[in-house]
Amino acid sequence: MPQEENMEAQINTERINAKIGLMKQTAEELKEMGENFPALERNTIRILASIKMLEINISDVIDLKVMNS
Amino acid sequence: MLAAQPYWNPILETLPHEKLQNLQLEKFKRIFKWTYDRSKFHKNLYDSSGIKPEDIRSFEDIKHVPKVEKAMMRDIQRKDPFPYGDALCVPLEEVTVFRQTSGTTGQPVYQPDTWQDWEWWAECWSYILWAQGYRPQDRVFIPFGYNIFVAFWAGHYAAEKMGCEVVPGGVLDTKARILKIQELEATAMMGTPTYILSMAEAAKNMNIDPAEMTISKITCAGECGASIPTTKKRMEDAWGAKVYDHAGATEIGAWSYECQEQPGGMHVNEALFLVEIEDINTGEIINEPGRRGKMIITALDRQAQPCVRFDSKDVIEWDKRTCSCGRTFRLIKGGVVGRADDITKVKGVLLAPAAIEEVVRGIDGLGDEYEVVVDKAGDADRIKLKVELVPGAEGQAQMIESRLKDQLRLKTNLAYQLEFHDYGSLPRYEVKAKRFKDLRK
Repeated sequence: MPQEENMEAQINTERINAKIGLMKQTAEELKEMGENFPALERNTIRILASIKMLEINISDVIDLKVMNS
Repeated sequence: MLAAQPYWNPILETLPHEKLQNLQLEKFKRIFKWTYDRSKFHKNLYDSSGIKPEDIRSFEDIKHVPKVEKAMMRDIQRKDPFPYGDALCVPLEEVTVFRQTSGTTGQPVYQPDTWQDWEWWAECWSYILWAQGYRPQDRVFIPFGYNIFVAFWAGHYAAEKMGCEVVPGGVLDTKARILKIQELEATAMMGTPTYILSMAEAAKNMNIDPAEMTISKITCAGECGASIPTTKKRMEDAWGAKVYDHAGATEIGAWSYECQEQPGGMHVNEALFLVEIEDINTGEIINEPGRRGKMIITALDRQAQPCVRFDSKDVIEWDKRTCSCGRTFRLIKGGVVGRADDITKVKGVLLAPAAIEEVVRGIDGLGDEYEVVVDKAGDADRIKLKVELVPGAEGQAQMIESRLKDQLRLKTNLAYQLEFHDYGSLPRYEVKAKRFKDLRK
């Protein structure tokens, strides 16, 4: 069985991507609420940077339509 | 269970190559547009060639995007927004860390990174360390003078991110570092090949056998040595550990790594980077294995000061083999085999200094250190090689000299003036060594 089918069978990338999207939305809302709250804004910026790493690792493959191309 | 997973990213590292290329093309379009829209320097460069983001539709189109050379970055820096100049793509207040290149090839280039870029650096290194067998139970000693050079900073952050226990060996001297490794029973470390060999020598001088210590894996950077088989063997024998190579640069990122299979080459992280190989003479892009050229590289996700079609001058070639580790990231054969600006003509013969290291480190009885000096005697080039005999090898000096001459002639096609120096008298280095001196320039 090709590697790709193995991975698709084991990892539900669509579901993970949806959860990443929800996290990003929540973090962005928190960042907006942190305009006068340094501890909220700066920690949320760090969270968003970590979420970006999840996007690079997982979401890009789906959002850039790599698997369907 | 996590520790048994061989890949940091089981999706990207096993993606069929044609899909990886689709990913690279889409990500190239994205970083090109980001850069065009935000960097005055890049926009002027691209406008002068008549290329706009919408013109990038295929890999063929990417070939027409102008390359960026380090010298161009030097020209635009030290100006507003100070000190980075017109290539900065984010507001200055979003820059969270400063680094600079080592200046080996000229005036250092400054590199700004946002926190996201810094997370990305650690991500690049996480691919490397996981592939080399680092796991959360490892205790990683980093014998590096934490400073303005990126060197092992990102390795430190990646090891932390992965859950390893990191011991920063910052301002300790070599003896104190060896004792700390012994005291804490560290299982892994990172360093330049030069320093890893020098630490082993220092340990032996302290009557400590490094091979009896607890280090089981070493990640090297900064020099070609860990991909030169004879140098790798010396390090592995000295430490009783696996030695792995990786390649990266301040203005690029950590783009390549050797996996645990040690396939005689390094994987290019093709999910995070686009590597092109260009024929040094014709400028043609080389896609087939077995032809050397210089690397043109794009970091597909780096934002503050992007790296788009950067002319790295690293000399590499694609390997025709796939790796038994299962990664679909292509291999470059023998790692980075030299630099386009290091390859020089001596007596009319093209010489890559790495070939001399391969010979010296392959001869028993010679020490790890050496120095090459090229100068002129009248109009003729002259090349001198200084080496050391290890203690106890004095009786074999004639045989070693004869073997050295033969191997140098065979591997480099040149005759050398040989000088044998007392053991310990040639310079020792802690970071990048400067063993090749061309006095003709």
